[in-house]
Parts: sequence; C-alpha cells; structure tokens
Amino acid sequence: MSISQVITLVNQMEADGVVERYAIGGAVGATFYLEPVATLDVDIFVAFRQEPGQILISPQPILDYLAARGGVLEGEYIVVAGWPVQFLPPTSPLVEEALANAVTVDVDGTPARVFTAEHLAAIALQTGRAKDKARLLQFIEAGAIQAELFQSLLAQHGLVDRWLEFEQTFLKDPP
Amino acid sequence: MTFDLQRILESKQSLRRNLASRLVSEKLAMLDALRDRARTIRAAAPRKESPASPDSAQESPTGAKKP
Repeated sequence: MSISQVITLVNQMEADGVVERYAIGGAVGATFYLEPVATLDVDIFVAFRQEPGQILISPQPILDYLAARGGVLEGEYIVVAGWPVQFLPPTSPLVEEALANAVTVDVDGTPARVFTAEHLAAIALQTGRAKDKARLLQFIEAGAIQAELFQSLLAQHGLVDRWLEFEQTFLKDPP
Repeated sequence: MTFDLQRILESKQSLRRNLASRLVSEKLAMLDALRDRARTIRAAAPRKESPASPDSAQESPTGAKKP
C-alpha cells in the first residue's frame, strides 16, 4: 500500500484514455521538491475527457475505472492502495497552466507527472490557507523555485499584490 | 547536543536539506510511513464528546478529512 502504487494506477488510467492528462499537486507534489511533510491524502489534477454535447464534467468514468480495480469511494475521495485520492479539475487559469506544464519525474522506473515547483508555489500563494503559506515558505527557504519564473507566473495570474503582502508578512526581518 | 539556539536552527535546516535531497522514491516511501504514523496517533487520541458537526460528518473511515 503505497503512493507508488497510486501513481502506477493513475498512469494506467491515463494510458487507457479515461483522463486526458493528470498531474500530482498538493503536499505529495511538493514532496518531489522539498522534504516530505505528513499528509493524509493525494491530490491529483486531471483534464477530463469531454464528450461532444456534454456540458457538465463528471468524474464518474474515473470512479468506475478505479472501483473496478479495487478502489473504494469514501465521500469526496476514492481510496486506492490505502491512500485517499482526490481527483480535481483545474479550477483556475493558473491550475490549468500548471497541468499543461507539469513535468514527468522518474520514480524508480515509473514515470510520475507533477506540477513544477514554481506552479506549486504560486498555487499555494493563490489558495492562501495557513498550510499553503507554510508550504510556500518551505519552497523559498529551500531555494526550490526559480525566482524569475515564479515572478512571471505571479504577474501573469494577478498575484503580485498577494505576493507583496506575503513577502511583507513573512520574509521581511523586523527592524 | 547543544542548547545554542543558533546551532539548533542550523542543524534543523541541515536535516531538512538532507531530506529534501533524497531520491523521490525514498521521499514517497517516507510519506507512506508518515501517514501510517499520523493515522495511529489520530486513532489513539481521546475523542471529544460533542454533538456531531457537519465537519465531523466528513471524516472518513480511513481517518482522512475533506480539505
């Protein structure tokens, strides 16, 4: 029961055409760049296949696919290989871009697609909960993001003011 | 071991850098272990005797909670 098994299954799901593209985000995604931090679930962002004439996007094909392979539905999650997994559609242009630009990382011979560090950091800033701010600080302290790329994402997605506020609160030493 | 705060902080930074630089597969295995530990701790924690709230209704049998 491991995250590696979840990644293998989601790769297969993509290969079988259930989703167009997936990428790992959240705390598990951040672990690709930072030290591991305990988390209870796996966030997987997916581009859903849309049938002609379909207006509402449904996660049902994903749930059916995983249920047929031992997944168990629990509220908003489907438990796969012991991990509650949440499949999320991109909810903002920033997340859409993160999904489109996600990178493939080799995990012991298994490819895993994950958001870039800069996108994870920008999404953390945009989401703005306490745990997201803590994660953004981790990215900065670890020197895991390219400043120029990060700044360009902030400008592109209207996050500059929020960044300045964050910087003022957390990154400026008191006089 | 020392009680020099500066050295303690440096040592923590060093540990974090060391963990961050491990292979992704190792770090994912650590997540598996961390999650098992967190679930054990949650299961052992005393439960509050309070009326069920909408939030508690979202708790899953796995211990996972809606973010």
